[in-house]
Amino acid sequence: MNSNVNLLVGLAIGLNLLALGSSRLPSVIGAVAVQGMAIGLMPLLLESDFNWIVALVAVGTMAVKGFVIPVLLRRAMRTANIEREVDPSIGFVPSLLLGAGGTIAAVALARALPLLPEHAGSLLVPGSFASVLTGFVLLIGRSKAIAQVCGYLILENGIYLFGLLLIRTTPLLVEAGILLDLTVGVFVIGIIVDRIQRAFDSLDTSKLTVLRE
Amino acid sequence: MSPGPLLFGAALGQLAGMIVSRRAPRFWLPATLASAVAALGAALFVLGGGAEWQWRSDFAIAGDSLHLRLDGLSAFFLVLVAVVVGAGAVYSREYWTDAAHPRSATAGRFWWSVLALSLGVVLVSSNGLHFLIGWELFTLAAFFLITLDRQRGEVRAAGWLYLGASHVGTLALFAFFTGIAARTGGWDLGPMRGHAELAPLFWLALFGFGLKSGMFPLHIWLPSAHANAPSHVSAILSGVTIKIGIYGLVRFTGWLPVPAAAGWTIAAAGVVSAVLGVAFALGQHNLKRLLAYHSVENIGIILIGVGFGVVAVAHGSDAASWGRLALAGALLHVWNHGLFKSLLFLGAGSVLHATGTREMSRLGGLWRAMPWTATLFALGAVAISGLPPLNGFVSEWLVYLGLFDAALTRGAAAWAVVPAAILLGVTGALALACFAKVCGVVFLGAPRSEAAARAHESGPAMRGSMLVLAAACVAIGLAPVMFWPAVARAIGAWEPAWVDATPPDSLAVLGWAHLVLAALALAGALVLWRRAHRVTAPRALTWDCGYAAPTARMQYTAGSFAGIVTEWFDWILRPVRHAERPEVPFPEHAGWTSHTPETVLEHIVHPVGGVVMQISAATRRLQHGRLAAYLFYLLVGVAALGTIVVIDVSQ
Repeated sequence: MNSNVNLLVGLAIGLNLLALGSSRLPSVIGAVAVQGMAIGLMPLLLESDFNWIVALVAVGTMAVKGFVIPVLLRRAMRTANIEREVDPSIGFVPSLLLGAGGTIAAVALARALPLLPEHAGSLLVPGSFASVLTGFVLLIGRSKAIAQVCGYLILENGIYLFGLLLIRTTPLLVEAGILLDLTVGVFVIGIIVDRIQRAFDSLDTSKLTVLRE
Repeated sequence: MSPGPLLFGAALGQLAGMIVSRRAPRFWLPATLASAVAALGAALFVLGGGAEWQWRSDFAIAGDSLHLRLDGLSAFFLVLVAVVVGAGAVYSREYWTDAAHPRSATAGRFWWSVLALSLGVVLVSSNGLHFLIGWELFTLAAFFLITLDRQRGEVRAAGWLYLGASHVGTLALFAFFTGIAARTGGWDLGPMRGHAELAPLFWLALFGFGLKSGMFPLHIWLPSAHANAPSHVSAILSGVTIKIGIYGLVRFTGWLPVPAAAGWTIAAAGVVSAVLGVAFALGQHNLKRLLAYHSVENIGIILIGVGFGVVAVAHGSDAASWGRLALAGALLHVWNHGLFKSLLFLGAGSVLHATGTREMSRLGGLWRAMPWTATLFALGAVAISGLPPLNGFVSEWLVYLGLFDAALTRGAAAWAVVPAAILLGVTGALALACFAKVCGVVFLGAPRSEAAARAHESGPAMRGSMLVLAAACVAIGLAPVMFWPAVARAIGAWEPAWVDATPPDSLAVLGWAHLVLAALALAGALVLWRRAHRVTAPRALTWDCGYAAPTARMQYTAGSFAGIVTEWFDWILRPVRHAERPEVPFPEHAGWTSHTPETVLEHIVHPVGGVVMQISAATRRLQHGRLAAYLFYLLVGVAALGTIVVIDVSQ
């Protein structure tokens, strides 16, 4: 069972790198969607005995992260009429290198941390750190709002992965709440992206600096 | 009988003053005067031998119950507050009238009452929290009084400097009082010399109270604030509020333990303030700014006395006799300086009122037009120069006696007092030179401008309040023994072991000598006056070397009179001189200007402030509005925190 989880975490890490290296927004959204479904599946694998609530949340997570959010993002992308991240402040190859280096560093960091013995062999902790880092690189290095939203989602996935360590003690209601927040957040951003595009003829957030004070 | 009801009445009087200041200004003066009389009564009751008064409330204000205490020391300073508040209030009714200052006269009355009340609160509260509240309130009230005439840019600049500097000092006092509260477990104040762990807090108190008292080099705010405030406000600022800084220093060196170096530091700061204060005063051309620098000098004299008093406490009971004298001199000088400096500022205000200028180079010859002001100002000048037979000499004499007695003992103090006494003598001589300059340039000679020629004497309210202050100066000068019990009572509140109600023999001798001297001087003046009026001397121009067209500008100016002495102090005064010499046989342009800036402010505080502002401006570039970069800051911050945690865990 642990090996299955590790396999999924490995998949998530690979999707991180795909999101970092791709310039096409549809493939980034696709990577985020698949990653969301992969980590949504994990609670089912981690719980040894079948539990209705866990199953419900897992299905909900997969549905929201795998379908609802990507649909919202794709629609925003279409209305804003952009397909590509053109001018990233951190280039695609440096992003990839940062992501790879970050993943290695995450593994090293996880070794240094005083973890419980049952988590020691798992890839959950390094995968979580690697995803958070990837999310940050996307947020910092991309200028289009949609790519930044994808970075934010990957970052949230990393936090979710870390939360899985505490799956026995965290009320699933909290997870459900986070999921709802996320959906509403992306929904709102989808609307805002459209507005930004109409008002400024660009989705470049680095130009939105007037209201800094 | 107890001073409690009197103090309560005094506070009520000031509250009434605040209420009536706008709607019914004619009741403001009676309310203020009644309040001052009540406060004076309470203070004199305690100083005259009555029991120390303490009161704790059952209710809480700002989270703590009120604890009021009127002991000898508080009462001693309360006398000064009451006298100057009363005299200044009378003066202001003629000086800052509603007719002449329709925009600010009401505010002037209101903030005057707030200032008086908050000064009283500071003096009687025995709770750190309420002390700080009173302190902040009086700082703010003084700010609004300084900026009454805020249409003028320099007044606003002076006000801001005052406000900024005061709050730096208040910050130190916040740390001081919270430090006491944290170590003793409560805000309540009182004698606690046993708590040795409180000693390091002294340095905070020295900074906070020293800044308020105008000690060199923390005096940067003082000259501009005192010079630009209306004159009755200058009088109370210079005469009273800077003494509240001294009060704090004396109060808490008495109640709390002090580090070994405390006394020496205070005394050294006093010597530096005294000498440099008078040096800066000599370089000034602005009458009120000059008087303001004399406040720095006199604070120095007070600090010398306080400093050696603290040193004497550390020396044990052998040093009690000279320590008592030095401290008595310092405390009496608090009264004396409060009286004659208020008198001088009110006199300067009278000159300003009559001529509209405070530039000494535009004045001159005012003695004929303003005989009352000139005479009273000259009396104040004699007093502040420390000449017998007036009060300034009495207190400086006591400080000298303390220093001389200390010189006869063994130990470090014996060596340290010799240079202190010499420099104190130098200060007195320079002060005399400075006031010879002021009186000569402003009141003697011929008027240098049209405004000075058209000067007129001020009215009865202004003259009356100056007369009261002058009378107090004369009284302390001629009968110093009468005032000794009050000083002894204040000393007893500071160091109970030093209580001695019998005045020193030399003080009695000095009093008789002053009486004889004053009688002789009066008799001599009378004889000269009668002779001058019996023989009608012919009036003519002074012999002018045969020059045919003398003008009023061919007199000693404020700058040239003090030229030699200010050149001795060029290293610290750094005067700015601009000379345009007459070169050709028939020169069209020639000129000479000189200006003494505030050295500490312009050569230390401004450059340091500039560096701080540059660094701050550089950090503002981090705030540019790019979200991605903000996220990067976040990542760096989290990584740094994580690193700290990891390093901490691995250790």
